[in-house]
Amino acid sequence: MSAVLPITAAQAPHSEGVWRTAWRRFRNDRVGMVSLAIVAAFLVLIALSATRVVARHWQAEVGVPNAPPTFLGPRPPEDLGTIEAPKGPNVDLSDVDPLAPRYKEWAERAAQMKTAEVQRQETLPFGGDRLGRDVLSKAIKGTEVSVFVGVLASVLATTIGTLLGAAAGFFGRRINDFLEWVYNVFTAVPDILLIFAFAAVFGRGIGTVVLILGLTGWSGVYRQVRAEFIKHRSREYVRAAEAIGASAGSRMFRHILPNVSHVILVRMSLLVVGFIKFEVILSYLGLGVPVDQVSWGTMLAEAQSELILGYWWQLAAATLFMAVFVTAFSLMADAWRDALDPKLRGAE
Amino acid sequence: MLLSIRDLKVSFRLGERGAVTLVPAVSGVSFDIPEHTTVALVGESGSGKSVTAMSILNLLPDNAQRSGVIEYQGRDLLQAALPELQALRGKEIACVFQDPMTSLNPVFTVGAQMTEPLQRHLNLGRRAALDRVEALLNEVGIPEPKRRLASYPHELSGGQQQRVMIAMALACDPKLLIADEPTTALDVTIQRQILELIARLQERHRMSVLFISHDLGLVGEIADHVVVMRQGVVREQAPVARIFQSPHDAYTKALLACRPSLGYTGARLPVIDDHIEGKVPNRQAKPKDPNAPVVLQVRSLAKSFFLREGLFGKREFKAVRDVNFQLRRGHTLGVVGESGSGKTTMGLTLLRLHEPTAGEVLFDGQNLLTLSDSARQAMRRRIQIVFQNPYASLNPRFTIGQTLNEPMAIHGIGTTQAEREQRARSLLAKVGLDDSAFGKYPHEFSGGQRQRIAIARCLTLEPEVLVLDEAVSALDVSVQAQVLNLLKDLQDDLGLAYVFISHDLAVVRFLSDEVLVMKDGEVVEQADAHQILVAPKQEYTRRLLGAIPRGYQPT
Amino acid sequence: MWAYLIRRLWQMVPTLIGVVVLVFLLFKFFGADPAVILGGLNATQEQVAAIRTQLGLDRPWWVQLAIYLKEIVTFEWGRSWATNEAVSNLFATRLPATLTVMIPFLILDTLVALPIAMWVAYRRGSFSDRTIMVVTTVALSISFLVYIIIGQYVFGFQLGWFPVQGWSDSTLTNLITFVPLPVLLAVMVGVSPQTRLYRTFFLDELGHDYVRTARAKGMTEGTVLFKHVLRNTMIPIITNIGYALPGIFVGSFLIEVFFSIPGLGREVLLAVNRSDYPVIQATTVYLAMLTMLINLATDLLYKVVDPRVVLK
Repeated sequence: MSAVLPITAAQAPHSEGVWRTAWRRFRNDRVGMVSLAIVAAFLVLIALSATRVVARHWQAEVGVPNAPPTFLGPRPPEDLGTIEAPKGPNVDLSDVDPLAPRYKEWAERAAQMKTAEVQRQETLPFGGDRLGRDVLSKAIKGTEVSVFVGVLASVLATTIGTLLGAAAGFFGRRINDFLEWVYNVFTAVPDILLIFAFAAVFGRGIGTVVLILGLTGWSGVYRQVRAEFIKHRSREYVRAAEAIGASAGSRMFRHILPNVSHVILVRMSLLVVGFIKFEVILSYLGLGVPVDQVSWGTMLAEAQSELILGYWWQLAAATLFMAVFVTAFSLMADAWRDALDPKLRGAE
Repeated sequence: MLLSIRDLKVSFRLGERGAVTLVPAVSGVSFDIPEHTTVALVGESGSGKSVTAMSILNLLPDNAQRSGVIEYQGRDLLQAALPELQALRGKEIACVFQDPMTSLNPVFTVGAQMTEPLQRHLNLGRRAALDRVEALLNEVGIPEPKRRLASYPHELSGGQQQRVMIAMALACDPKLLIADEPTTALDVTIQRQILELIARLQERHRMSVLFISHDLGLVGEIADHVVVMRQGVVREQAPVARIFQSPHDAYTKALLACRPSLGYTGARLPVIDDHIEGKVPNRQAKPKDPNAPVVLQVRSLAKSFFLREGLFGKREFKAVRDVNFQLRRGHTLGVVGESGSGKTTMGLTLLRLHEPTAGEVLFDGQNLLTLSDSARQAMRRRIQIVFQNPYASLNPRFTIGQTLNEPMAIHGIGTTQAEREQRARSLLAKVGLDDSAFGKYPHEFSGGQRQRIAIARCLTLEPEVLVLDEAVSALDVSVQAQVLNLLKDLQDDLGLAYVFISHDLAVVRFLSDEVLVMKDGEVVEQADAHQILVAPKQEYTRRLLGAIPRGYQPT
Repeated sequence: MWAYLIRRLWQMVPTLIGVVVLVFLLFKFFGADPAVILGGLNATQEQVAAIRTQLGLDRPWWVQLAIYLKEIVTFEWGRSWATNEAVSNLFATRLPATLTVMIPFLILDTLVALPIAMWVAYRRGSFSDRTIMVVTTVALSISFLVYIIIGQYVFGFQLGWFPVQGWSDSTLTNLITFVPLPVLLAVMVGVSPQTRLYRTFFLDELGHDYVRTARAKGMTEGTVLFKHVLRNTMIPIITNIGYALPGIFVGSFLIEVFFSIPGLGREVLLAVNRSDYPVIQATTVYLAMLTMLINLATDLLYKVVDPRVVLK
């Protein structure tokens, strides 16, 4: 009888699945960890915004129109310099004025009522927009909307693409032919055009944008998942599962899917970035979020006309928030992909 | 002395971001390559033999760090600048690699690729270069060399591609040819041809050859000197006669002993670690009962694949034609053939992993191939399969415990989870693995250990027949011996019947009672194992036997 | 080869039918009632009903589908609801403008991204590699809109190097005066993803065995890179360009909108805003056809570029 083989010291002291190994790897990646921190901070901000803890009153016009940012200081008062006000008291018109007897009564009544005269601020932290709304609040709220749309749409697209790709890749033959036909139909039309067609029909609204992006963006995921399933279904471990009698569903989702999930996850993170950018463009064009909502896209739409007048803060705020978040997210996704990559992992 | 390697150390920097580790591959290797000699560098995977050879011309990846001295004609190659090395490469020292399909550039013709070194090093014009290339192709035995100049690599067979690689290496008449496992990726019969070609060319061109291989028996036929490596160090180096007749090092001795030769008659193979410790394997074979009940009977089994052709047509590709055999309990049927012979397809069809086109597979009188789905599930318990690639046959995301538990859960073996776990652990012990393996993942195990786990997975269902599809082909020689011994033990213990599929006739003969030789889907010869060896009837069988490396034969 | 061609053309038919049906169903069941749109806000019930009869909308939907199919097959493109211009005329007049911008863009984009990607892939892991990767990541995170807004403002408005908007009838004037700024901005945005993509292609090829063989033959690094690797990398690059080609017909509609270039993309956008269904429908269907033909051409080109490919 052959000798019992103990596990040699060169191997890991305790068992680690794929995710634990990847996490350990990821922790060593400085860039990845910093990006993760930034993304997490944004997510916290979004959560606060969604629960209306911050940026609740973004629609309130709290500042003077186009209020400059605080660090710039208030705008010098405009020299209106139009007509010179006349000097001297007003002419007494009380004999011809039909309302004259009532003035006194109204003055007394008015004195009793309190008016909430909001003192418009001269400067706001990030400046104000055309209507005097706080750009910082808008930016935060816009982050919530844009990121929410991006993430939800990518989840939808990934789900559709994964289910269809798995079916096409695993079963092959007729199901594959049919799904390939569906794929061909959807990709025969250039992306933008398809989105426009859907937008023309469905109209505006956050839900619609999510639906449109999800229904048009699944093709990339489908292609990849299908290729992966085709690759894995003839691998020995799946054959072995078939040999011991595992059902098709079990083979697809218990065996193959966990081996493919890291690929799907990376794809989904790419989709998030792509969809956020699409949403921005759609909102800019007026096809995205409805008028009573704000997103980075609507901010950019307003910013364009403001820039000509020299008011650059809304453009800066929107760009800054978007750039920081998307960069951090992309770098984080890159780091995740490297951490999960089998070639570096040596696990497969 | 043509080339001298002194105290070579090579390490690799691994890990890109964050943690970077230095992994040693070669730790202090020294040997010489004299002129006009063939030096064989032998070792198993991970021994560092390829890394050593690639260091000579610095063909290692960017993350490699080398130290030591490699002396060639008075220069230290390790210190040479890149242009100096480039002048040497292909001209005085040339290489042939393991996989010719990927080593040749797929988008250039054979002629275009081969004229490159000629034009670069010898400044030949295009016409002159093509003429020389044609002559070279002729020399290495490519038929119709003129036509082949315009062929692309993928239009040639594996053997021809390797010949092209060799011709390309010889183009500028190098003094040293480095051949890195040149025959490993080829079929057994082709291997012999390439081996003889290299030996012939070495003789004719009066050059030295550094021949790298994992197979000591193979190099014994052509080498003059042998260097044996293990885990980055040289264990022994000596002229070939001494290595084979009186080896000093325990590892060398073990390597020589572990390989099942055709004449081996013991019941168990010696294992390297055992051999080093001085243990002698049990040589008593348990006699087989010739009247054991027939568990599996196969009649006229056939499998065809249908491929699309033309506008709407279909072409039939007959992968397996008319296979017949009977398998008794406790016996082993060996199936031998080269790639494309249909042996693997036949094995998979037995389990209905491929749907058969015709024939019957009778299990206790029941035809497996016409069973209903529910009956088929029950049948799955009785016949199981172990695959070739240990790195792909276990789900990387399942722990060993989950892998072993799944078949039992599907078939309802064992009523409680605890009971199933108990069975799994006892099976792990039976295949010789530590109990701690239960909670680990496949990537923590070596190839041989994974094969044991695969065997244990099959055993959870208590099968009667086990199909072993090239189950040991991907393993190193010493590990092969361990797994083969395990299979024999299990057969004696549990009365399993095996269908053992392999391209290696020596291994098949060690394990089998009856042997089936397949070629192009047909059974070419079918006889008793002893019979096949002693008196093969068919030409093809004789060729297969001839292709087996014989090791050093003193003249 | 001919068998392959015929089979591919034959396979396009079901896809095309699928696109037509998709477009039809999309607009029929999710879109607003065309009769209401055409009638306008002040139409009476009778007027709307009259329009409906005129358009044939009171017939069962499969009849409408059949009529629609017939229109497509006979290349009867219909008329725009907003301007009553024939859609075919729309195509003919707008397409040249789109192409005048997009073709220079496509050429420049590839020519700029290729050498950067090659250089960066060769020096993988080096400081320049990482810097460029970070720069492209940041550049990618900024919306195209921002580039255009700032670009227009800086180059057009402030510096006055290029006109902010405009178009003329002469192609030459367009190419010299009106095209440079849009193309410049588009290339600035497009070069980042293209560089990253091509870098991946190059890295893939550099890891192959034949590179080692080429080095083993004594070839210089330059020969290895520019002859062996580049030739192999052209395969995925050309297929990539081929599959991106259909996109240029819709053009970068953003560019057209910002720079008031009368191209197809802008036309489609206007149609969306005006709920001008015939324009959107026709554009979608005919572009689908065009895409499939271009894909077929790309596949055939693939065979020329990669000798291993066997067209079945």
